Amino acid sequence: MKVAFKIWRYDSVSGERALREYEIDAPEEATLLDCLDIVKDKHDGSLAYRKSCRMMICGSCGMRMDGAAVLACKTRMYDIANEGRVPTISAMGNLPIVKDLVVDMDPFWAKFMAMKPWLQPGYDQPDDGREYRITQERMNVVHKEALCINCGCCVSECNAMESDPEFLGPQALAKGMRFVGDPRDGAKVERLEQYSQEHGIWDCTRCYFCNERCPKGVDPRDAIAKLGAEAIAHGIDRDMGAKHAKWFVRSAETTGWLREEELIPKTQGYVAAIKQLKFGISLAKHGKVRPIPFPHTAKDVGEARNLHKLVREQDRGGAMGHVQGEKALERLGHGHAIGGDLEEIYARPNAAPRPWLPEVEEKA
Amino acid sequence: MSTTEIPLRRVAYYKGCLASLSAKELDTSTQALAPRVGLELVELESVTCCGAGDIHEAEPDYYVHLNARILAYAEATGCDTLLTVCNVCTLNLRQANHMLQGDSALLARVNENLTTVGVPPYSGGVEVRHLLWEIAEGDGFELLKKAAHKGLKGLKVAPFYGCQILRPSKIMGFEDPDRPWSLERIIEACGGEAIDYPAKIKCCGFPIIAAREETAMGELIQPIEQALEAGADVMVTPCPLCHLSLDAWQQKLEASTGRSFKLPILHLAQLVGVAAGLEESELKFKRHIVDPRPALERLEV
Repeated sequence: MKVAFKIWRYDSVSGERALREYEIDAPEEATLLDCLDIVKDKHDGSLAYRKSCRMMICGSCGMRMDGAAVLACKTRMYDIANEGRVPTISAMGNLPIVKDLVVDMDPFWAKFMAMKPWLQPGYDQPDDGREYRITQERMNVVHKEALCINCGCCVSECNAMESDPEFLGPQALAKGMRFVGDPRDGAKVERLEQYSQEHGIWDCTRCYFCNERCPKGVDPRDAIAKLGAEAIAHGIDRDMGAKHAKWFVRSAETTGWLREEELIPKTQGYVAAIKQLKFGISLAKHGKVRPIPFPHTAKDVGEARNLHKLVREQDRGGAMGHVQGEKALERLGHGHAIGGDLEEIYARPNAAPRPWLPEVEEKA
Repeated sequence: MSTTEIPLRRVAYYKGCLASLSAKELDTSTQALAPRVGLELVELESVTCCGAGDIHEAEPDYYVHLNARILAYAEATGCDTLLTVCNVCTLNLRQANHMLQGDSALLARVNENLTTVGVPPYSGGVEVRHLLWEIAEGDGFELLKKAAHKGLKGLKVAPFYGCQILRPSKIMGFEDPDRPWSLERIIEACGGEAIDYPAKIKCCGFPIIAAREETAMGELIQPIEQALEAGADVMVTPCPLCHLSLDAWQQKLEASTGRSFKLPILHLAQLVGVAAGLEESELKFKRHIVDPRPALERLEV
């Protein structure tokens, strides 16, 4: 098939930047990475890009196609070529470009290392030398986070990092959750303290680009939400972002609706909030805030209050509240119909073949 | 055209916090517009805040229960659709709905808790849809074309989607999150000209505007700056949180940059409402910080 695309070429030494168009012959099963290989082999040997495994596991070939970060080895070109589209390929965002499609990953690795991405000693081990075994259920807490291949596709599009380059970002924080949630790690509280500082958990702006782009289903934004839940469950809530989040909980159980007028003083503290007085008055003039807080209370709010008491007693605090929803959301990501269980889905006429699972085979 | 000719479809209406409080103009314009696009709004009384992503982060198990309670009361009205007018409510409710619909053990546990505190159980039979989706296609779109008889007379409108109506697309599932079309289609159907600019799908910074104002403002400036450069007269957004940051924090952006923007920001129901000839008492433009009326004056001629 004929595949056409444009590539933003860049040379950091000369500062030259140019958009070049390429049209090549490629086999129908070709990925974007295969196409770049063809360009480099047959058309222009000076093209620079990273690659290694070619099978979505090494995380080297992150780049942008039409502005969206992708793994080149995961991106098939058949449909694009058929539609006659000519996509633009460029380097990932939020990282300095070295040449063409190659970015400098040093800032990425610096944040990665700042998370101390290794198990820290201090956990309880059996005294008698037996193997320390952990149930699948406890490892499920970090199952998605452990899938990360450090490709940087999430970082490329992080809106908060674009505004604050020091933000630890989705990859580093998801990696942090991978250790915070690991029952073998002995530094959970220290980690939560560290990650709760400025440029950490509470700097995420919830744009969800990271979840959208991640080629491995890590859902970094959800990992950041898990860190927030764990921090608050451990009483690490001094940051303004944590206070902001807690005010919503307080509002829900007292008046039902958000107590909007009190949100800024409850987040920033009453002293700091005085600086916002002029701004507050400008909003009050247009009826955006009421000068005297007068709670707007939802009907039957006692139910919301009692629900809160009830769930607090049921031991699904912290990240567990997120983990319980992951299976259902994961099915959605794999295109499974809502409501049907897997057995029912596999029984449908055009269903995808059932994957081979050892325990299912054994049962059969 | 008389609204009585239009057959109305009953939908449960969840207005959320902002339309109840600082963005009352969103509620009044939505209520006024609804019958003209074929919707009868059944307002939910016994509902709370969806948690706005904050309860999802702080106490996720409570988040699921609060949203299940909203879904249960929506289902109790007999409607199959829960209509939202806010991106953040849409994501929170859709996400909780998918969790409950896709995990029978979770649904059973949540229902036990709901009934313990006196809430009717939820069977999973409600779909959460934003007003944007209702009027961008199908019968809603056909009715919108008829309702927008006054037209926007070539008004240059910058669509601003915001985040949580597009992403995560597996939860939202309405349109391509990188090449959305719904707002543009509505703007054109109302006789306006849709302006294109890259930041229309990016973040306005609102979730962290109280805790990290500087970072949030670095995000907020992008759509405002780009839309003005592209020649926009006004901007429209389906989200009252985006609206609040774009409208109310714009003055702070002007103070910190020393520049004048004065870009009026309209709620989706207001923009369509202008084209449909709604009254000022329904549109309530006086509640905006940046007054849209001067930009809309030429439509009166």
